[in-house]
Amino acid sequence: MNEFKQAKEDYNAIPIPEKLNGVVQAAIQQGKRNSRRRYLKQSFAALAACFAVLFGVLNLSPTAAAVAADIPILNGLFKILTIQDFQQKENGIDYRVSVPEIKAAGPLAQQINAAIQEKVNNHLEKAKQDWADYQEAFLATGGTQAELAEREMDVIVDYEIKSQTDSSVSFVVSLAECWVAANEERYYYNLDLEKNQPITLETLLGENWVQICNESIQRDIAASVDETGFSYFFPPDAGGFTTVDANTSFYIRADGVPVVAFAKYEIAAGAAGIPEFPITVE
Amino acid sequence: MNAFVKELEDYLIAEQAKFYRLAYSYLYNEDEALDAVQNAICQALEKHSSLRQKELFKSWFKRILLNSCLDIIRQKQRVKPTPAESLEIAGYEDPMPEDELLANRINRLSLEEQTVIKLRFYEDLSLKEISLITETNLSTVKSRLYSALKKLRISLEGVTIE
Repeated sequence: MNEFKQAKEDYNAIPIPEKLNGVVQAAIQQGKRNSRRRYLKQSFAALAACFAVLFGVLNLSPTAAAVAADIPILNGLFKILTIQDFQQKENGIDYRVSVPEIKAAGPLAQQINAAIQEKVNNHLEKAKQDWADYQEAFLATGGTQAELAEREMDVIVDYEIKSQTDSSVSFVVSLAECWVAANEERYYYNLDLEKNQPITLETLLGENWVQICNESIQRDIAASVDETGFSYFFPPDAGGFTTVDANTSFYIRADGVPVVAFAKYEIAAGAAGIPEFPITVE
Repeated sequence: MNAFVKELEDYLIAEQAKFYRLAYSYLYNEDEALDAVQNAICQALEKHSSLRQKELFKSWFKRILLNSCLDIIRQKQRVKPTPAESLEIAGYEDPMPEDELLANRINRLSLEEQTVIKLRFYEDLSLKEISLITETNLSTVKSRLYSALKKLRISLEGVTIE
């Protein structure tokens, strides 16, 4: 039994990284957020169904469903509709898909719609392939069919309108796969539907936009260092933030402030989540 | 806030070091162990409403944590196939040389056997709890424990089973 005692002592001596508490807290917040989102979605669907019954739309055609999920938008130049909206389970994949479409005259809306649809299609294809690969690996490494049947992969396509005016809209489409690890990709769209062109950081901040953004972001990163000198952000020479450029993602907040958003792991440890920086001028 | 969520949260925060150690004992890598803990907590809070018997939440969470570790192991195996030369050597060596540290020998066991040993002796859980966590019946847990101890060449003398 001495050997066991030794092994147990070694086990209890496994050092606990300082980061652990931060990771745990962040995971709790993230989990609660996701669970709220799940809950809201279910209640929203139930509510929409109630309304459909109330108004006698008993044969809920795909068109009627799309209208029920219609996001109320000002009587402006455009509308955003949910064109694909379904929740279903198929072959161990739990799909929750809401795909937006911009209804507006002019070429920009069509172009963006096609780009979104293509990303969604690729995402669904890739998810199926990943799941098939995983199942194969699972069985090949000693998992049983019964264990496999308890597992599922969540595939989520969702969008969120960040802000809008009569003629412009800022929204983000997120494509996620959640199973072993959660992968999420976000695509940001900022559109001026009157001028039929995308809104850029330069449109919003003027010709010094690169400098303005960089200074604002560097201020926030510097402020994130805690008293022990620890920060989730990588140093610039180790994959951390260096500069914004024309491909940098951002959205426009309701108060008109542009918010630069990086992908998870892009400039910081995963525990930092998706780093976002409201751009402010000091 | 929902009282159950609060209780779950308090438990997750209070026992975080234990979760991390258990994950580390499978993964031997700080970042992966942190990832496993993070994924498990996320999942638990996201899916807590599907847990029917709320009083079993501790076993339920440990199950999520173990699955989250095993998932990472499986993913690694998928990414990095074992190099051919290490397969050859393995055939000629005693897989469990007795002079090696017990901790290393434990990690050479099958994942099911490892789990039983770790939960029983590191975490001091009863076989009943282990059977709840792993969702296997009690006699399977027992037979896994015996076969693991045999492979570890540990005499049963002095080992408290129940």
